Amino acid sequence: MNRKGCIYLILISGVVTASCRKPYEPPVVAVNNNYLVVEGVINAGSDSTFIKLSRTVKISDKVAIKPESGAVLTIEGDQNTSYPLTETGNGNYASPGLNLGNTHKYRLRIKTVNNEQYLSDYVEVLNSPPIDSVNYDVKGTLTTPGLNVYVNTHDPNNKVLYYRWDYQETWVIQSYYSSYFKSNGDTVLGRDLINDNITDCWQSDTSSTILLGSTAKLSQDILSNYTIISIPSTSEKLGNKYSILVRQYALTSDAYNFYVNLKKNTEQLGSIFDAQPSELTGNIHCVTNPSEPVIGYISVGATSSQRIFATNRQLPTWRTDKPFYAGCHLAFEWPTFPCCYYNFGGENQVDEYINYNKGGHSNPLIPIDALSVPGHPPLGYTASTRNCVDCTVRGTNKRPAFWR
Amino acid sequence: MKKIYFLSLCIIAFFKLASAQDTEKKLISVDFHQAKIEQFASDLESKTGYHFYYDPAQFDSLKVTLQATDRTLDAILYMTFDKTVYHFAIIEQKIFLTRGREMRPGLTAGFFSPPSSAAPQPTTIVDYAEEKVVKVAEATTENKLYEIGLRTSNLKGTANLAGYIRNAKTGEGIIGASIYNPDTKTGIATDQFGYYSLTLPKGRQTLTIKGLGMKDTRRKIILYSDGKLNIEMQEQVTSLKEVKISAEKVANVRSVEMGVNKLDIKSIKQIPTAFGEADVLRVVLTLPGVQSVGEATTGFNVRGGSADQNLILLNDATIYNPSHFFGFFSAFNPDIVKNIELYKSTIPEKYGGRLSSVLDVTDREGNKKKFTGTAGIGLLTSRLNVEGPIIKDKTSFIFGARTTYSDWLLSLLPEAYKHSSASFYDANLDISHQIDEKNNIYLTTYWSQDKFRLNSDTAYGYSNRNANIKWKHNFNNKLYSVLMTGIDDYQYNVSSTANPVNAYKLNFAVKQYDLKADFNYYLNPKNTINFGLSGINYHLNPGDNEPNDSKSLVTPDQVPMEQALESALYLGDKYDVTPQLSISAGIRYSLYAYLGPQTVDHYAPNLPKESVNVVDSTTYGNNKVINTYGGPEVRLSARYTIGDNTSIKASYNTLRQYIHLLSNTTAISPTDTYKLSDPNIKPQFGKQASLGLYHNNQANTIEMSVEGYYKWISNYLDYKSGATLILNHHIEQDVLETRGKAYGIEFLIKKTAGKLNGWVSYTYSRTFLRQDDPNAGELINGGAYYPANYDKPHDVNFNGNYRFSHRFSVSLDVTYSTGRPITLPIAKYEYAGSERVFYSDRNAYRIPDYFRTDFSMNIEGNHKVHQLTHNSWTIGVYNLTGRANAYSTFFTEQGGIINGYKLSIFARPIPFINYNIRF
Repeated sequence: MNRKGCIYLILISGVVTASCRKPYEPPVVAVNNNYLVVEGVINAGSDSTFIKLSRTVKISDKVAIKPESGAVLTIEGDQNTSYPLTETGNGNYASPGLNLGNTHKYRLRIKTVNNEQYLSDYVEVLNSPPIDSVNYDVKGTLTTPGLNVYVNTHDPNNKVLYYRWDYQETWVIQSYYSSYFKSNGDTVLGRDLINDNITDCWQSDTSSTILLGSTAKLSQDILSNYTIISIPSTSEKLGNKYSILVRQYALTSDAYNFYVNLKKNTEQLGSIFDAQPSELTGNIHCVTNPSEPVIGYISVGATSSQRIFATNRQLPTWRTDKPFYAGCHLAFEWPTFPCCYYNFGGENQVDEYINYNKGGHSNPLIPIDALSVPGHPPLGYTASTRNCVDCTVRGTNKRPAFWR
Repeated sequence: MKKIYFLSLCIIAFFKLASAQDTEKKLISVDFHQAKIEQFASDLESKTGYHFYYDPAQFDSLKVTLQATDRTLDAILYMTFDKTVYHFAIIEQKIFLTRGREMRPGLTAGFFSPPSSAAPQPTTIVDYAEEKVVKVAEATTENKLYEIGLRTSNLKGTANLAGYIRNAKTGEGIIGASIYNPDTKTGIATDQFGYYSLTLPKGRQTLTIKGLGMKDTRRKIILYSDGKLNIEMQEQVTSLKEVKISAEKVANVRSVEMGVNKLDIKSIKQIPTAFGEADVLRVVLTLPGVQSVGEATTGFNVRGGSADQNLILLNDATIYNPSHFFGFFSAFNPDIVKNIELYKSTIPEKYGGRLSSVLDVTDREGNKKKFTGTAGIGLLTSRLNVEGPIIKDKTSFIFGARTTYSDWLLSLLPEAYKHSSASFYDANLDISHQIDEKNNIYLTTYWSQDKFRLNSDTAYGYSNRNANIKWKHNFNNKLYSVLMTGIDDYQYNVSSTANPVNAYKLNFAVKQYDLKADFNYYLNPKNTINFGLSGINYHLNPGDNEPNDSKSLVTPDQVPMEQALESALYLGDKYDVTPQLSISAGIRYSLYAYLGPQTVDHYAPNLPKESVNVVDSTTYGNNKVINTYGGPEVRLSARYTIGDNTSIKASYNTLRQYIHLLSNTTAISPTDTYKLSDPNIKPQFGKQASLGLYHNNQANTIEMSVEGYYKWISNYLDYKSGATLILNHHIEQDVLETRGKAYGIEFLIKKTAGKLNGWVSYTYSRTFLRQDDPNAGELINGGAYYPANYDKPHDVNFNGNYRFSHRFSVSLDVTYSTGRPITLPIAKYEYAGSERVFYSDRNAYRIPDYFRTDFSMNIEGNHKVHQLTHNSWTIGVYNLTGRANAYSTFFTEQGGIINGYKLSIFARPIPFINYNIRF
C-alpha cells in the first residue's frame, strides 16, 4: 500500500513524500558572488544594539556563514548625530544602549576593509509594544500531539501593524547514566556532585524560522494566540522542564514585506501552488557600486520580551523519545568483556579505558559507579561512552541566570 | 415486399397494355385542398372507375391542392404531377403513380402531351409547396439519384444546395464534415450545427462526403434549381481503425485555415492518460505548439502565450477554470464531448477577447432516435451519461455527470496526510430542439464544483456555472443566423475556521453575460461571408473577505466590484480567387468600456504606480463609462496550392485582450484572480504572423506540415517581487507591464489511416518577456529580455496507435521537452537563525528535461450490434519508464540547513484501468 500511498498522496494533497521529492544539486554556479549580508536591529531603547556582517558563499559550500570582520559601522541620525559600533569579533558589532527616543530617523553606515561603502535608508523608530502574554496549551497540531506556545500582544496606540518574533528555548536534559566518579586522567576519584555534575544540564536553541504577524486586516490592533512554536509530545525538550523567551519586534510595512519575501523564498517553497521566488530588496545599498545587491533590512526600535516555563509534571503523561541515547549501554558484557576492572585476568581495564592519560583510547569511557564488595575498595567501575554519561556534550551544566 | 409487388405489377402492366382512351376522355371536376394521396386517389377512383397503384411511402409527403372543372382524367393528372418528381402512367384503367423513376409504357409520343390549349384553364394552379411544407428528403442511399429543385431541362448555370449532414444513428449534426464535388473541385465543411450550403453547377453530379469518425460516403444528385438535401452518414463502427485528426483528409492542404487542429473524441480516447479517463486538455498538450508548465496543471500555453490567453469555449460558453482536482482532470466530460478544435494562428474573426488561441469544445447532441447511455468506472472517478429523444427526431437531450470518490484513498495514507480531502463533480445537460426546418434551438448548461483541503484547516472550493441558449434560423439556403445569449460564472472561495479569532471566508467571482449574433452568408461559390456582433458584460468580484465566526476579529474587506462591457463587430470573407488561391480576410472591431461604480486612482505621470505617487482619485457612478479601449483586429490568411497535394499558407492576426489573469505561481491555482482593464492597466495586444507548408502523401493518408510563426505581445502583466494579488485594492501597484516576443517552428507528420496511425511532432519555440520601463518602479533582470516561465525550446511528441484486431489495439505516447526556466539560488548566507539562499536573475536557469512514455491497451467486447450493453476496458501505464520528471526544483530550509529538492508529480509508473459500459 505504501507505493500506492505515495502516488495518491501526491495526487490528493500535492504534498510529497521523500520518495517523490528528491534531493537536487543545482548546476554549480561557479561565480562566487560574495554579497554583503547585514543582520540586526538598531535598538532604540536601553538594550544593546547588535549588528552582524557576513558574506554570501557559493551554494555548494559546506559552511554558510563567512563573517565580515574589520568593518567600521556607524549609526547616523537625521539630526547629524552619530554612534559608532565596536567589533566584538566574528563579524559581530555592538553598541551599548542608545536610548534614541522616537522623534528622529536613523541609518547605518558600513565601511568594509576593502573600502566599500554601504548605507541603509533612514528608518523611523518604531518601538514594540509590550507582550501581553506568552502562554501554552497541550493541543498540539492537527497531526501531532504536543505543546503549543502562543504569544498575545496589542498596541494601544494602534500604531504597530506588523510584528516579528524570535525566541530562545532552554530545557533541562539528563544524561543516560548518572556518573558518581571521575577520572583525572591518571586515577579515578569521587565526583563533586555540586560543581561537576554532568547528569543535569541545560540545552538551548534559537528560532530558525521567521515568525511574522500582522493586524493590518483586523479591526483592532490585537494579535491573539499567535503560534510561536509547536513541540511534539515526544520531544526531549518536554522531558523535564522547558523555558522559552519570546522577543517581539515592531516592523514597518516595508520591513514586513522584506521578511515576508525572505520567508517565501526560503521557507515556504515546495508545494505546487507556491509563488515564484522573487528578488529580495532590503533597505541597504552599496554606495561605491550601486548595482551590487546587499542583503538585509535595518529596522530601528526597542524590543520587548517575555519568558515562560513549563515543567513535565504540568503536562499530560507523554512518553519522551531520546534518540540521542539510542544504543547507550554499559561497557560491560559478561562474561566475555566485563568492564572495567583493575585486574581482569592481569589486565588493568580502568587504566586502559578510563584513565585517558594512561590508556591509549581517543574516546575514553567515563566511570559511572563502583564495582565493589561492601567493605572493600572498588574492584573497578561501570562505565560508558561520553555521549551517554556527560550531558555537557549537548548543553551546559552552568545553571542559566534566569532559571527558576 | 412492396417493391416486388410494384415491379411485378409493372411487368404485368407492360403486357396488358391497351388503349383506354374513351374513359380518359370523360370529363370530371375535382376540388382538392391539401389532399393526401389516399384522398386524391379514392376521389378519382370513384369518379372514373379507374384504379390507382402506388407506394404510399413514396407519396406520404404529397399534398394536392387543385380545383378543376370538366377536365379529362389525363389533364387532371397532368396538372397535378407535371414538373414534380412524380409521374403517372395509365394502363388499362389502371393508374400507376411513381416517384422519381418514370414509367414509360412506350406508346405514342403524344401520350403525355399537354392537353390542347383550347381546353378550359384550371381555376387555380396546383400548389407545389409540398417540398417546403414537408421535411426535406433524407438522402440515405449512395446509389440512388436524388433530384433537387424543380425539374427542368434547363441545366445551365448554378444552383444552391443546402442542408444538414447528420449521424444516421443519433440524428445529430456532424461538425466539420466536408461535402465535395470532385469534378468542379468545390466543397465546403459543415458548421457547428452540421449545416452546409454549397453552390454547384446544375445537372447530374456525385458529391463526396467525409466526416470525422464517419464512413466516407457519396450522393448522386441531379440539381435542377436551389434545393435542400439532408444527408445521413453512418458511424465508423470499427472506430479503432483510424486516428483522424482532421475532418477532411484534404483539409491539411486545401483549407485556408492555418494552425488549426481538430480532434474527435475517438482520437482523444486513444491517448493514454494518467488515470485512464480520456482527457481533452491532456490531448491538446500533445499537439505541436502547445505546452504546459508542468504535469499537475491543465493550464496550457499556446505559441508562447500565457495560460489566460486561451479562450476556452464549451458550446460557446466561456470556461474560466478548465480543470478539476488540481489539474489532474479536465473540466470536460469525455462522454459528452464530440470534438475539439484548437485555433493557434488563424483565429476566425467571430472569436476575440484572448490573445493566443481558441479552444472550442463541442458537446454531442443527444440521440434523437432512441435512449442510450454510457457509464465508466475508474480508480478515482465514475461517469454516467444518458441521452435520448424527448420528441422523436425533433427534440433530444444529453446529460452527463462525473464524480470522484477519492476520499477512500486518503484513509489509506499515513497519519500526516489523512486530514486532506479532495472531491469534485460536474454535470452537463444539453437540449436541442428542432422547431421546424428553418429554426432550431439549442440549450447548453454546465455545472462543476471542486472542493479540497490540503492537510490544513484551510478549505478551497471553486465552481464553473454556465448556461446559454442558441437559436439558429435559416433565412434561405444561403443565409442563416445564430443568436446566442448566455451567462458564464466562475467563482471560488477559501475559508478557515480553526482559530475563531481569525476565521475568515474569502470569495471571488467573475460573471459574464453574453449576447452574440452571427450570420453566415454563402454569397456565391467563391465567397462565404461571416459577419455579426457580440457583447459581453463582465461583473467581477475581485475578492471579499468576511469573518467566518462570531468571535472573529477579521474586518470585512471588499475589493470594489468591477464592471465592463466588451463589444465587437466583425466581418469576414472567404474568397476563392482561383482554384489555387484562397484568401480569408476578416476584420473585427472591438470596443471595451470600463464601467462604474468605481473609484479610480490617478498616478503622477512618469513615476512608478505606487501609493506615494497617487495624485488624486475620481469616483464614478453606476454604469458610467470610466474609460474605453478599442481598435480594429485584423485576421488574414491565404492559401496557395501547388499541384493536388501541396500548399503554402500564410496568415497575419492581431488580437486584443481586456481581461487579465493575475497569478504569480507557475501553475494556475484556484486562488488566482482576474482583473479587468482599467485606466491604470492597459489591455493586452498581440500580433502574429505565420507561414506554413503543407503536403499530403499516399492518397492523403500521410499529412505533413511545417509552420513558422513570430509573435509580438504588449502589456502582458508580470509581477513585482513579492506582489500581493489577493484582496489588493490597488493591484496596479503590484504589477508590471511587460513586452513579449515569441517565435517558433512546428513540424508535424500524421498518418491518418491503416493499422498503424498517429502523429509525430517537433516544435522549436522561444518566448521572451521584457520590462525595461525605468518609470515602472522595478526593472526585471535589469531591463533585458528574459525567458517566460513556459519557454521550452524543444518539444517532441509521438502518438501512435496500432490496431491488432477490431477488438484490440494498443497506444503509445512519448513526450520530450526541454525543462522550463526557473530562477536558481546562486549564493547562500545565514539570516534570522537559518541558512538562506539568494536567487539568480529571473528565469536564468532550467529544470531538467522532461521525458515520459505512456502505454495503453483498448479491449472492446464483442461487436454484435444488438446486445443490451457494449463493454470496453482500457488498461495501461502512465509514465512507463518511471522517470521522475521534475515539476519544479526548489530550495528549502529544514532545521537550519538549506537543501535542494526536485519535486516530481508522477515519479513512477502509474497503472490504470477503466471499465466502460454503453447501453
